Amino acid sequence: MRKILIVGAGQAGLQLAHGLLLAGGYEVTVMSQRPASEIRHGRVTSTQCMFGAALEMERRALGVDLWSAAGSGHRIDGLGVSVPGPDAAPAINWLGQLSQYAQSVDQRLKMAAWLELFAERGGTVVINAATVSDLDHLAALYDLVIVAAGKGDIVELFDRDAERSPYSAPQRSLAVAYVHAVRPREEHPDTSAVRFNLIPTVGELIVIPALTTSGTCDILFWEGIPGGPIDTFDQVADDPAAHLAHTLELIRRFAPWEYERCAEAELTDPGATLAGRYAPVVRHPIAALPSGRLALGIADVVVANDPITGQGSNNASRAADTYLAAILAHGDRPYDQAFMQATFDSYWARVAVCTAWTNAMLAPPPPHVLDILGAAGQHQDVADRFANGFSAPDDFADWLLDPIKASTYLAAVTAR
Amino acid sequence: MASTISDASLALSAKIVIAGAFGVGKTTFVAAISEIPVASTEALMPVAAAPADDVSFARGKTTTTVAMDFGRIAVDDGLTLYLFGTPGQDRFWFLWDDLARGALAAIVLVDTRNLAASWPAIAYFERRGDIPFTVVVNLFDGQLTHELAEVRDALDLSPGIPLTTADARDRRDVREALRALIRHALNLLPSH
Amino acid sequence: MTRTYALHAPRRPSRVRPYGITRGRTAADRFLGVERLISTVEFDPQRVLGMLPETAAVYEACRYPRTIAELATGLALPLGVIRVLVGDLAAVGRVRIHPPAADIPDRHLLERVLRGLDNL
Repeated sequence: MRKILIVGAGQAGLQLAHGLLLAGGYEVTVMSQRPASEIRHGRVTSTQCMFGAALEMERRALGVDLWSAAGSGHRIDGLGVSVPGPDAAPAINWLGQLSQYAQSVDQRLKMAAWLELFAERGGTVVINAATVSDLDHLAALYDLVIVAAGKGDIVELFDRDAERSPYSAPQRSLAVAYVHAVRPREEHPDTSAVRFNLIPTVGELIVIPALTTSGTCDILFWEGIPGGPIDTFDQVADDPAAHLAHTLELIRRFAPWEYERCAEAELTDPGATLAGRYAPVVRHPIAALPSGRLALGIADVVVANDPITGQGSNNASRAADTYLAAILAHGDRPYDQAFMQATFDSYWARVAVCTAWTNAMLAPPPPHVLDILGAAGQHQDVADRFANGFSAPDDFADWLLDPIKASTYLAAVTAR
Repeated sequence: MASTISDASLALSAKIVIAGAFGVGKTTFVAAISEIPVASTEALMPVAAAPADDVSFARGKTTTTVAMDFGRIAVDDGLTLYLFGTPGQDRFWFLWDDLARGALAAIVLVDTRNLAASWPAIAYFERRGDIPFTVVVNLFDGQLTHELAEVRDALDLSPGIPLTTADARDRRDVREALRALIRHALNLLPSH
Repeated sequence: MTRTYALHAPRRPSRVRPYGITRGRTAADRFLGVERLISTVEFDPQRVLGMLPETAAVYEACRYPRTIAELATGLALPLGVIRVLVGDLAAVGRVRIHPPAADIPDRHLLERVLRGLDNL
């Protein structure tokens, strides 16, 4: 039995842990900073909208779907974009259909249940706030140590890769509120959809249907350009009610077409708000511990993109999927530096386009992107292709990210 | 303390957290009452590189040592009370969580010469809301330099949080601070 | 899209009980606080032979009850390593993890501590 330690109990860490356990032949330990009950009753941690491909990967790894659409009543079938016009109504306003449904299951619910299930299935759970000293000693007791705690201080063990990290400062301030009593958009009352409201020079309001501990809900997620009017949630820090009031006031001011359906929003629970910021970063995947032993980083430990494209949990799922395949294929050979680098490289090959797309979305949209967003209102094909790109972002390299390919594609669509 | 094997196997423990900023006297406080020499668990944590350092790929990360001091008191034959000091660096909140989880109660030790340094510790226990705590001014030279009302005001301490003084070097003072803490915890329990 | 739509009533949140919310404490909740006492179950020197040195050290040290923190300082190992080793030993019944003095501090426990402080 090969012994694998996974430090971090989030999407990537637990998906990989379950995958290894189900594959058999591995003694898997997950080190979590918090017990399951504390995760469940704590504060929200993310927005975690997962699209079809990433959901398929996690179901394959887990071997079970704990929140099937039929059982939970939660599914997302569309993704829409709105951009304000000269008056109160949006100038661009369309809905793309997702070919496979997406889901946003509150990670408090999901990770608590996955951690419990992991323990039930025979995995070892250790609740411990991991330090460098822990990892250094444990690297001697395990065949492989994987660090999956992207939000912890331990992530600083991994050096920033300047070549792959175009930004050195946060590009958005983030403010999340989980709420009940948001109505669906009037244009598509029967289609549950993510809505991107892109407000030039101000930021983005993203509304995401979700499932939390008290049932279905919506996430009101402001991404504010630093120094702008949205970057003001510091003044309501530690006051969830004020956080929600501020969220709604900003919607009334900058996305008035969304205000009415959100006006009666109420927080799902006392831990339903989250605000913060971080600089997007790609890190070197291997940490050298004081003794010289190595640890391998996964998911947002090594690639932390801005949440503007909602790819964090999707990339975590892609990372777990990649690492699982690499570990299984590696057999009995030692998990040395070459293995670690090759494993990360195959992950990077899967998310390089996603990272470029996400970083591009943080900059003001270039003319060809505006052309695409406009054309999607006239041509459902364009809207659908945009929406489904969130499940398979590599497709964006063939049009959205390239002005020439974009105009070729748009010309072909409009000629039909 | 004579213990038989069967006694030992029934032994129970509880803990109190002694929190506060670096240099506020936490270790002195614990040492004043502990029946063992103060011991310390130490661990390394990485230190974030300055952005300027990020350009070059330098091996050998900078680390800092986080230490948690502790001492113990035998409450009676079956129960031992442990006193744990928080790490000096109060930015590693996850280590505070690890330490505070399951604590009976906590004391935030403050130094009137640098009250602002204790804000994060007070805010931490206020935010948690699940651990009874008191604030104790450490009288470094045996003297109180500010009125307690002024200190309370400067700390923006809610009326429900007891504020007292103690000389952390003085065993009787420390014992009294702990007794006041337990009485406060008892007062917070539902009456039935 | 040029259709007009009527206003719809607020969507009533479905109050289905999501998976896991009512479940009790499990191994995923077992936290070995720094103050938790550990003691060896029927120490047998023969068993030490097959153990890793660190595991053997914990097994031997806990012949008399010791806390997680005391094990860490006594054996010069980080807390996380002690937690892993104790968890492994407990899983095969070699050590016993003492229960906390109270799951939630109650009047009885607090009064007991107060009496102890009074008697110091």
